[in-house]
Amino acid sequence: MTEDTKGKRNTIPAAAGIGLRANHYREVLETRPPVAWWEVHSENYFGDGGAPHHYLERIRAHYPLSLHGVGLSLGSVDPLNRTHLEKLKRLIERYQPALVSDHLSWSSVDGRYLNDLLPLPYTEEALAHIARRIDEAQDFLGRQLLIENPSTYLEFVESAIPEVEFMCALIERSGCALLLDVNNVYVSATNHGFDARQYIQSVPASAVQEIHLAGHTVKQYDDGAILIDTHDSVVCDAVWQLYAQTIDHLGRRPTLIEWDAQLPPLSVLLGEARKADGLLEERRVAA
Amino acid sequence: MSLRDTQRGFSAGVLSDDVAAIRARIRPGRFGAERHLQIYRNNVYASLTDALAAIYPVVARLVGDDCFRGCGHQYVRQAPPTSGNLHDFGERFADFLASFEPVRTLAYLPDVANLEWQWHRAFHAADAPALALDILAKVAPEQYAALHFRLHPSAQLVASEFPLLRIWQANQPNADTDDVVDLSEGGVQLLIARRDIRVEIEALGGGEYALLRAFARGQSFADAVVAANAAQAQFDLTASLRQRVLDQTIVGFNSN
Repeated sequence: MTEDTKGKRNTIPAAAGIGLRANHYREVLETRPPVAWWEVHSENYFGDGGAPHHYLERIRAHYPLSLHGVGLSLGSVDPLNRTHLEKLKRLIERYQPALVSDHLSWSSVDGRYLNDLLPLPYTEEALAHIARRIDEAQDFLGRQLLIENPSTYLEFVESAIPEVEFMCALIERSGCALLLDVNNVYVSATNHGFDARQYIQSVPASAVQEIHLAGHTVKQYDDGAILIDTHDSVVCDAVWQLYAQTIDHLGRRPTLIEWDAQLPPLSVLLGEARKADGLLEERRVAA
Repeated sequence: MSLRDTQRGFSAGVLSDDVAAIRARIRPGRFGAERHLQIYRNNVYASLTDALAAIYPVVARLVGDDCFRGCGHQYVRQAPPTSGNLHDFGERFADFLASFEPVRTLAYLPDVANLEWQWHRAFHAADAPALALDILAKVAPEQYAALHFRLHPSAQLVASEFPLLRIWQANQPNADTDDVVDLSEGGVQLLIARRDIRVEIEALGGGEYALLRAFARGQSFADAVVAANAAQAQFDLTASLRQRVLDQTIVGFNSN
């Protein structure tokens, strides 16, 4: 990649992007769809060479990129995984992403990884711990991280701080930014009975650098239902509504359409991105 | 309860169904604590079994989906990932299958798994520039014996007493389902390597397999040739070397 290409394509506009998945590589290269930017899962590019890098290099030459991690395990009490950080750092140097993110979660303890975004108790202890960890990771990477609010399916007895306050405190202490996943707010609010809109209103607008949108699944039991963040369908109407309220409150932000399971044709994702762009555009006109 | 205790208890509850430590720490919500935890357990096992299925599609097709899920579940319990880089997960699946009672009678299964693991490694291995034949031509003939040839980072050599390549081919997504592989067809020696970005599997003659294996082990050209000739009478060394430089199985050499 030339310096010139990097310069032109290393900022992400306040428009819709799409999660780039391997099944769509060739179509993206051949058709160059009008998507403002792409986001990939960092860990999918932790291999040394071959097809993933072949395609990402070529797609990166034409679009801005965001690296979204799922495996840094920032909330874990284990030491930060240096190998993981080093791989991420190399990836950042190679692809010059505009944004780098991971989650408010943990995934490993005693060296065993569960490959999931596991919930944290929202306590002073956890806050101090994860703030230090984010600080350490940011120092190592030499850049700011965006931290995403999780979808959760349980709460801990000892949680004493509402999630959104925990997030705000984390931003203040570590200097990280927020990746606000509107679907996750909706899922967690429904599962735990808090007010999603109030959560969004409590978020400091200046800290939000990116928004995520995705589809979820309603898991039905005989005695009730719970929402699962499956990323396997279109964004539901209620989440679009919440998204509209979100950008009313925050202003326009780069907005990602995420889809991981039962991946549809690229055209479906482009349709979702157009929908987000439409809502963003309305705010531009209004502003 | 400290954060460490919470995470240890949670992990035990998910991986080993041991909920003693964590149950009382989960706030009764919409449902009881255990059902909330069960959602995470489902997600963890499903995502890790899916990761295995992506690396081992032929094993999955051979044993069927239900059996594969069972194998995956047990493997996750025994050998959960040790890093957040999922490319590393599943390395010991072939050994696991060799000792896992429900599939132990399928003697060829561990070899199939090994082939798929090597395919996976080849897929993600580093790129390497080709070796130009004329560079090789400039080496003085009297120096050949001491050369050490370097294989492409993706190149893997796999031997099996089963007709592994036929099994693999007959279980590709577009394969003819009537194709029956006779397990007594005999063994194979295979080269797995990436050509550009495509991983290819190729059956080798005994001489070429011995030659490339000697290169892979860092043996000198002289020793590799001895091994190749011992493995196969009338082995055509010149043709083999030329082809393997052209198809980028061999990508370099050191003269020390």
